[in-house]
Amino acid sequence: MDFELTPEEKAHRKEYFDFCKELEKKRPASSVGLEAVFEVDECWDFHLYCAKEFAKKGWLALAWPPEYGGSGTMMDKVLFAEARGYHGIYGVDIFGIQMLAPTLLQAASDPIKKEFLPPIAKGEVMWCELWSEPNAGSDLATLSTTAIKKGDEYIINGQKTWNTAAHRADWGFGVFKTDPAGRKHHNMTFLLLDMKTPGVTVRPIPYIDGDAPYAEVYFDDVHVPAKNVVGQENEGWAIVNLLAGFERSGMNEIMSMYRELEELVEFCNTTKRNGKPLSKDPLVRNRVAELACDLEAAKAIAYRIADLQNRNEMALMDAAAAKIFYSELGKRFSFVATDIAGPFGQVKRSRWAPVHGTWEKGFQECFVTIISMGTNEIQRNIIAWYGLGLPRMK
Amino acid sequence: MDLRFTEAQEILRKAARDFLTTECPKTLVRELEKSEKGYSPELWKKIAELGWTSLVIPEQYEGIGYTFQDLTVLLEEVGRNILPGPLIPTVISTFSIVEGGTEEQKKEFLPKIASGDLILTLALIEAEGTFDASGIALKATAKGEDFVLNGTKLFVEMARVSNYMVCVAQTKEGTTDKGITLFLVDTKSPGIQIEVIPTIAADKLCEVRFENVTVPKKNMLGKLDAGWTLVESMMRKGSVARSVEAVGAMQTCIDMTVAYLKERVQYERPIGAFQALQHLMANMWTSMQTARYLVYQAAWMESEGQPAAKEVSLAKAYINEAYKDVAQWAIRLHGGIATSSDHDIPLYYRRSLAASTSFGGTDFHRELVAEKIGLK
Repeated sequence: MDFELTPEEKAHRKEYFDFCKELEKKRPASSVGLEAVFEVDECWDFHLYCAKEFAKKGWLALAWPPEYGGSGTMMDKVLFAEARGYHGIYGVDIFGIQMLAPTLLQAASDPIKKEFLPPIAKGEVMWCELWSEPNAGSDLATLSTTAIKKGDEYIINGQKTWNTAAHRADWGFGVFKTDPAGRKHHNMTFLLLDMKTPGVTVRPIPYIDGDAPYAEVYFDDVHVPAKNVVGQENEGWAIVNLLAGFERSGMNEIMSMYRELEELVEFCNTTKRNGKPLSKDPLVRNRVAELACDLEAAKAIAYRIADLQNRNEMALMDAAAAKIFYSELGKRFSFVATDIAGPFGQVKRSRWAPVHGTWEKGFQECFVTIISMGTNEIQRNIIAWYGLGLPRMK
Repeated sequence: MDLRFTEAQEILRKAARDFLTTECPKTLVRELEKSEKGYSPELWKKIAELGWTSLVIPEQYEGIGYTFQDLTVLLEEVGRNILPGPLIPTVISTFSIVEGGTEEQKKEFLPKIASGDLILTLALIEAEGTFDASGIALKATAKGEDFVLNGTKLFVEMARVSNYMVCVAQTKEGTTDKGITLFLVDTKSPGIQIEVIPTIAADKLCEVRFENVTVPKKNMLGKLDAGWTLVESMMRKGSVARSVEAVGAMQTCIDMTVAYLKERVQYERPIGAFQALQHLMANMWTSMQTARYLVYQAAWMESEGQPAAKEVSLAKAYINEAYKDVAQWAIRLHGGIATSSDHDIPLYYRRSLAASTSFGGTDFHRELVAEKIGLK
């Protein structure tokens, strides 16, 4: 058992970190938290800028096959995520690059791959995910938005919701009911669609904190070319499951918390309470150290997943555990940091906010990772059913 | 990066698991808890023949010369099965001879340890109960060709059945880690009195009183006043050892509980069909699996000779709590049945407390972490 990176990996890691460190200097001050990219115009612009910069380096196509402009390994991809997480840099479209691209590479036809992968690798097209509906959340297979085939088109009618970045994205991938009379799990199709297609209406939804990282999307006779199907017609559920496997690595979020931990330590060293720095308070030291332990545990299992993925092995159970763990750690982190900061913990980005209001933002943002990508309760089902072999709920 | 066990490690794992399953059933574990010695000399002999006591001893001293990481692979299996006896105190204190001993000391002690003829333990903790140098009050005073030791050590594992102790003594008054010296002390030396302390895991932790105990200078381990770095090395390795043991133990707690949830029927279905219990089970698995890779990382760093103090403390602090928590959930998910001392789960639950205190409790290691992450 060996945790050592190869000399090439170390060199790549350094290159990613150096590059992201430079980009950080250009990052807008309004960039606070993980969702600012979707909420603030200048942050979205910075995202597009970073994407182009990364594309020039070929880093948007890490671990892709060379015929689609790919280079590097899964491990490189993880190391790149470390650097972006630590320096708070976007530029990698979580939907296009993290989820859709590996799905297309594994399951799409050659024409689809040839049409859609290059613009993703060039950082030209940004994507969103069109899955959840008002009445189909965790039980996604009960969705009711229809895509009825007519000639060489599908006509979509219905509504999707909780679609992160839908108000920013150029294209969306989603799953729609194509055979309303068909049996569950064999009645839906995975489609790619241009978000500017007539009939698509996107309404941003204000999150807890009032900012809008996500939207609801309405479809009113939206025509989508039939060639935009990924996989087989009526077998979109298989694609949904395939894509879900690419969602949870967590390294980006984990390294983002590493940075936050450093900021918390610095805050404790430089902030006096009762005439002495917070860092001298044994209770504060204990609480911060506990966060550090949890964070290292999160990172260790993320490397385990990276190691499995690097050998093309299944990481279903570990990925579910990692997602539960790092997302709930995010919640604990914000609870502890805001508490240590006392009355300042509640302050939004402004003069009195410690660390630019990161912790106040984190206190509200923590549900994003806990609920999205399969709620943590769904992740626990995955561990119990598929990992431990306990009886499935009927 | 390749986080799989090597082929040799897989062989070691499999052999250890098979051996312990046959040779150390829970009936024996219970017997040994009640016995005076706390270990089985016959089993110890077999263990030595398998090479467990010689695993990390260099080949030139009749050892096998495996790495520390290899040892942790073995100890995970020990934790999975439970093996009462002096294996961990012996192998961990052996490192102080390997790392700090003179050529003569190595030649004298290591082959005997390798063959299982010499049981070694570590005499570190005292009345303050701390794991840092400020807690060392036992005095060693130079007198001619000897040192004379006076003081009391506590929680010395298996001291009763040990042949030698690595005793951590103060040799310069008024200093902390700059005045600590280690001595190899014959347990049968005049002036030594040993008494077993009744503890939760019945693991024969002892009070050892030293009254004018004479130790020849040639048994001083490492340099005078400079023994603390050897203690730190043993603390790191001991912490990792207890943590991998804990991971093995958590695995057993989980395996047993999953099996029970599948077979126990209430409300006309196996209770494992209830999500209330499934989610608790998933939480236990998550705790174990995060603990596992956390300690694997620390073990690898320590084994590679990298500075690992931070990673070791991160792991020990985390796993202290994880093991206790997983073991208590294992009892709860079994319902009443696992609250009986006849059940095997309580063997692990009791050991979770023993493991968490061994080589430093949660707050002790969190404080080390606090320093290492830069809290001033």
